[in-house]
This record gives sequence, structure tokens and C-alpha cells, in this order.
Amino acid sequence: MPGVATGIYHTSYESDLRLRHTRSEKARLVLCIAAVLALPFMLNNYWLGIVNAIGIAAIGAIGLNILVGFTGQISLGQGGFLAVGAFTSALLAGRAGLPIPLAVAGAVVVTATAGAVVGLPALRLKGLYLAIATLASQEIIEFVIRRWHWLTGGQGYLEVPPLGVLGWHVQRTSFERTWYWVILATAAVAAVAARNVFRTALGRSFMAVRDQDVAAQAIGVNLTRAKLSAFALSSGYVGLAGALTAHYTEIVTWERFTLDVSVQYLGMIIVGGLGSIAGSIYGAALLMLVPPLLSALADAIRDAAPFLADQLPALQVAAVGVVIMVFLLFEPRGLDRLWRRVKDYFGYWPFRY
Amino acid sequence: MTRTIHTISAVLLTLCACKQSGNTPTSDEIVLGIIADLTGATADVGKPYNEGMLAYIDDLNAKGGLKGRKINALSEDYAYKVPNAEEKYKKYKQAGAIAIQGWGTGDSEALRTKVKGDELPFMSASYAEVLTDPKQSPYNFVVAPTYSDQMRIALDQIAASDPGAQVAVFHHDSPFGMAPVADGEQWIKDKGYKLGYKDYAMKGGATDHVGLLQQAKDQGARFIVIQNVSSPAATVARDIAAQKLDMKIVCLNWCSDELFIKLAGAAAEGHWMIQPFTPLSVAKPGHAPVQAYGKAKGIDVEAKGLHFVQGWYTMHVMARGMEKVAADGKPLTGPNLRAALETMDAVDTGGVIGPVKFSADSHRGSLAAGVYKVDGGKIVEVAAAVAPKK
Repeated sequence: MPGVATGIYHTSYESDLRLRHTRSEKARLVLCIAAVLALPFMLNNYWLGIVNAIGIAAIGAIGLNILVGFTGQISLGQGGFLAVGAFTSALLAGRAGLPIPLAVAGAVVVTATAGAVVGLPALRLKGLYLAIATLASQEIIEFVIRRWHWLTGGQGYLEVPPLGVLGWHVQRTSFERTWYWVILATAAVAAVAARNVFRTALGRSFMAVRDQDVAAQAIGVNLTRAKLSAFALSSGYVGLAGALTAHYTEIVTWERFTLDVSVQYLGMIIVGGLGSIAGSIYGAALLMLVPPLLSALADAIRDAAPFLADQLPALQVAAVGVVIMVFLLFEPRGLDRLWRRVKDYFGYWPFRY
Repeated sequence: MTRTIHTISAVLLTLCACKQSGNTPTSDEIVLGIIADLTGATADVGKPYNEGMLAYIDDLNAKGGLKGRKINALSEDYAYKVPNAEEKYKKYKQAGAIAIQGWGTGDSEALRTKVKGDELPFMSASYAEVLTDPKQSPYNFVVAPTYSDQMRIALDQIAASDPGAQVAVFHHDSPFGMAPVADGEQWIKDKGYKLGYKDYAMKGGATDHVGLLQQAKDQGARFIVIQNVSSPAATVARDIAAQKLDMKIVCLNWCSDELFIKLAGAAAEGHWMIQPFTPLSVAKPGHAPVQAYGKAKGIDVEAKGLHFVQGWYTMHVMARGMEKVAADGKPLTGPNLRAALETMDAVDTGGVIGPVKFSADSHRGSLAAGVYKVDGGKIVEVAAAVAPKK
């Protein structure tokens, strides 16, 4: 949008429905694509591994944002759903011998079903009460995966076959890079699909439920259908993230799916921006980057300030909390809103608005 | 606003730039990765263990390193969280580490398949049975008797003292805690003991264990084998004393330490300990180098406790393997180190832990642990180097 323009004006329905309206938006998209394509050739395996973890977390965060940010249903059950996805995919691929893409698809379906079941109380509960109900589902799922011996054959962990399709297997030497392409493709499809859901009647009904459920019902939104499909859709995404985690780390244990994880994901979408797909990705990236960046800082200043470097492990934990608090105080709508304000500033420059 | 953004991006860029320059090993150094718990759930024992390892490396480097090559030990905290351990592991691999020293059962199991794929020898303070089988875990090495072996020793001792006793097993609610439970039950069957046996999960963060003790009392338990760390075990000891129950605690290695006595106070008296690493209160020749190092550096190793010694000697075994590779005149790589650890002579630790010997068929470093009793606020040796009955 040039500096002298007063806004974006649409002259047809198609142009109104487009995902990207201005030339600068398209230019940024091209830059973005170029950056993600160049990334694996610029980073070493360690940082690429962190990027991969961000990619998986972004899919999970998009899922949680569909439920919390777009539909207004609070969930503390994220860790549990990740576990359902991870264990289902691991069992389908490892024990039932299904090809991995099918196992992942199976995990998505099973987790979506589990999500819809857990969503049933949401028909009657709101706010804090719903939060506690989903907390209960988290505890129940955690209890089951810890105590059900059949799941892991009494070992307490489940080994997952490495990524492979039709005789091809991921090599240790190109492990991170191969996974980068797999995760990038999956995350891109997931993000675009989620973005489009909110241009359909179903997606808009989710937002109507969030803004005022009684009013939504009055104008003809089927509350039961909207809430349950929001839970199912959200859990499907989370199941996908869980299944990818299982195959990426090649081992599944309950320790990876505790309540901490649920809280961390809530942190991601708050920092990124509730009700924003792009925000989910920003939030996942920021929260996953804070600890390794702090430890890089610790390495860098080890000689200059050994005392500070010694304390950094403890600071890592605190830093994540501080980031969340800063956002709650100064920009509750998260990184996405911050980015939009930056764009507006330059768009309207030299005027204030 | 934009200024803030600029500042933030500038800081981030600087950080990325720093990371390239910081801590790059020179070609002459041997890089070793240590995954330590300094702030997590097991930090009370993880910190001295880590300090013991770093002390050993410091001592070795001061004495000239391995044939003139210094060891660069990268050590970072993972706060007892498995995803962090994986992140640290990748970092060390990137830095060119040829071996990894891990810590807990969770991270050892999570990294097991990765070290196999990357061919990096891995030791940890987790003594789970699965890690000793080279068919399943070809790059894991266990220096101490496994939790299952410690449980077998404990049951042998209990059966010898009271053949018909009821045994309650209180364990941490995790793979670490569960590790010896099933093997203990099997051992009673195999040996034809008349012992009763029941296991109870200890809830994390519990401020008392009166409820569990009540269940154990209903079972008629005379002995309580604890597979957990010192603080909860000390709570059990205090509860037993407060309830005036006639029960004896048998601690496996993670609660058999000075911290248990310190936390339980007088309530610790008379309880038993199965501990593979000899505490400093029981003098052994192997303690001398540790004490000499402490004296030279002004570190009170007695106050650090036996986990310091445990870290020291775990690193010692790893270093002996590296020495063997160098002595054979081979390049120091993961597979060569693995072969060296499997073929080297038994490592004598001066009685701190039974001679550590690996082979190509077994990565079970040693079988025997010491049996101790708490007497007068001190750990007193009852029997040294006791192995499970044949």
C-alpha cells in the first residue's frame, strides 16, 4: 500500500476473498519462501534441529489456536492429545506395520475422535470450568499412558521405526535436512488449510461461538456442531504434531507429554497472538528459540562474565515466563498484532494514521 | 516501536554471530558432551555428580591430558527434561563430540537409538537393565550394577535376615522407579524365597508418605525397598519414626547417600543401603586421588558426598577407554572407543566400585555393590562387594 493511499479498496468479490491483497504482501511471501528454502543450506545440524522442533510445535500451536483463539474454548489438554497422536502413530507403524504416512493419518483421525469425546463437556461448560474439564482429560490420558502396560510392553517407552516410505529410509547423515523438508511441507499445508477453514461457514461459526455463543445460536449456528468440530479439528492438528514428534524423535515416552507441555503451548499462542494462524507460528518460534539463544549467549559471555553464565540455566526457565508476562502486559494480542502495527507504521508513514 | 524491533533483531543477530565464534574446539582437543541435571527434579544429586565429572577432567587435563591431548568437556544443564536432553545431544554432536555422558533413565532411553545411529559411546547414571544388552543398546555402557541387580542383592540380604518377611517396594513413579520392580518379583520366584512382595508408586512432591506406609502396614511389610532419590526416602524414614512402625528401609543407590542421613536425622538410624559406590566415610584406596584433588583445589569433597565420587569414577572409566584407543594407535572415533571399552582390561577403581569390565556380549560393567547400615549418623560398611546370589 503506497504511503499516499487511504486504504485497500475492493472492486470485486474475488479480490475481497484473496488471502493477499497488496503487492508488498506478495513480495513478502516471495521473500519468506526464499528464506525457508535457503534455511537448510545456511544452518548447521544443531540449529536445523531446533527449526524442526519449531515446525512441529507450530502445527500443534495452530491446532490449539483453532480451539482457544478462534473458538474461545480453553484447553489444558494439549499434552494429552499430543500423546494420543504420538502413541497411535507409533503403534500403527511399529506394531501393526502400517506405512508411516498411513500411520500418521490414522493418528490424526484417532486424536480428532478423542478430541471430540473430550469436547463433549464443552457443550455444557465454559471458561474456568471447561479448563478444569480439559485438565482432567490431560491427567487421565497421562495416567493411561503411564500405567497401561500393553502400550509399551511394560518397558515404559516405545521405539518408533525411523521415517521411511516404500523401501526408502532417512539417513543419519542427512537426518535433519530430510526432516526439515518433511516438516516444512506438512506445516505449510497445515497452515494454509487452517487459514482457509476460517473463510468457510464452519470456520466463521467457530468465531461466532467465541464472540457470543448465545447470539450465535440465535442467528442459526448449530452450537453442538460448531464446538465439537472445533475440538475435533483442533485435536486433529495436535495429533499430527504428536505423530511427527514420535517419528522425528524415534522414541515415545510419557515424559514428553506432561501438563508442562500444555502450558507451554498456551504460552506459544498467547505470545504469538490468539486467533491468528501466523501468530501461532511466531509464538512457537519465539518460545522454542528463547532457551537455545540464551544458552548461546551463555557460551558467548562465558569468559567475560562466568558468574552470569553459571546462572543462565536457571534464567532460561525464568525467561520463558518473563516473555509471556511481558506480552500479557504490553501486547496481549501477541506478536502477530505487533507485526501488523509495524506494517501500519511504515504503510502510513509519514502520517500517524 | 520499530526501534524496539530493530534492537531485538540486532541482539538476535549478534547472538547468532557469537555462536559461530564461541567454544569452537581446536583440532587437538577431544570433545566430550555432558548432559547434566543442575536445576531439575534430580539436581540435588545431579550437581555433585556433574562436579565430580568435571573435576576428573580438570585433574586429567592438569596432568597433561590423554597423551598430550586435552579433553574439552562441554557440560550443560537439561533440567531433567527429555526434549532438552535431545537438544543438548544434537549440540554436542555438532561440536564433534566423540562420546556422551548422560544422566537419567528418561534421557538415556530417549537417546539410546540415536547414539546407536551416530555411533557415539554413551554412559549415564541410569543403571537400567536394557542399557546393558549390546544387541539392543550397542553404544550404551553401564559402569555400576543395574537397578535390577541392586534389587536382587537387597532381596538376598532380606531373605538371609528374615526368610518369611513381607517386602514393600516404594518406587519413583517413572521408568527409573519401575526399572527393578518386575525383576525383583521374578528373583523371588527364581530363588524360591518365601518373601512377600508388593510395589507402591510414590507420588512426586508428596510431603508425607503416611498413606503408603499404612498400605505397607496392612501388607505386614517389615522391609521397605526404596527406588527413589534421597529427599522422599528421608520423608519415609521420618514417617516411620513418627508412626513408631517396625520397618526397615533398604535404599537402592539413589537414596543411599549422606543426604538421606542429613534429611532424616535420627530417623535414618538402622536403615540399610545398597550402594555400588563406596562413600567417603568408608575409607578405600580409590578415594585418595579424589581427596587429593579436593585438597589442592580447596573443595570439601566430604561435603560433596559420594555422588561426586560416582561422577569422578564414571568419567574415569570413559577416560580409560580413550587411553586404550590411543595406546592401540587408532584414531579416536566412536566405534573405536566402543571397541576399546569392550576389550580393555578391568578398570581398577581402588575399591570404590567393583572392577569394571565390559565385553562384546555384555555392557554390564560390574555386578557387586556394597551393603551399608546407618549407624551413629554415618554410613557404616556391613559387607563390601556383594553380588546377587548365583
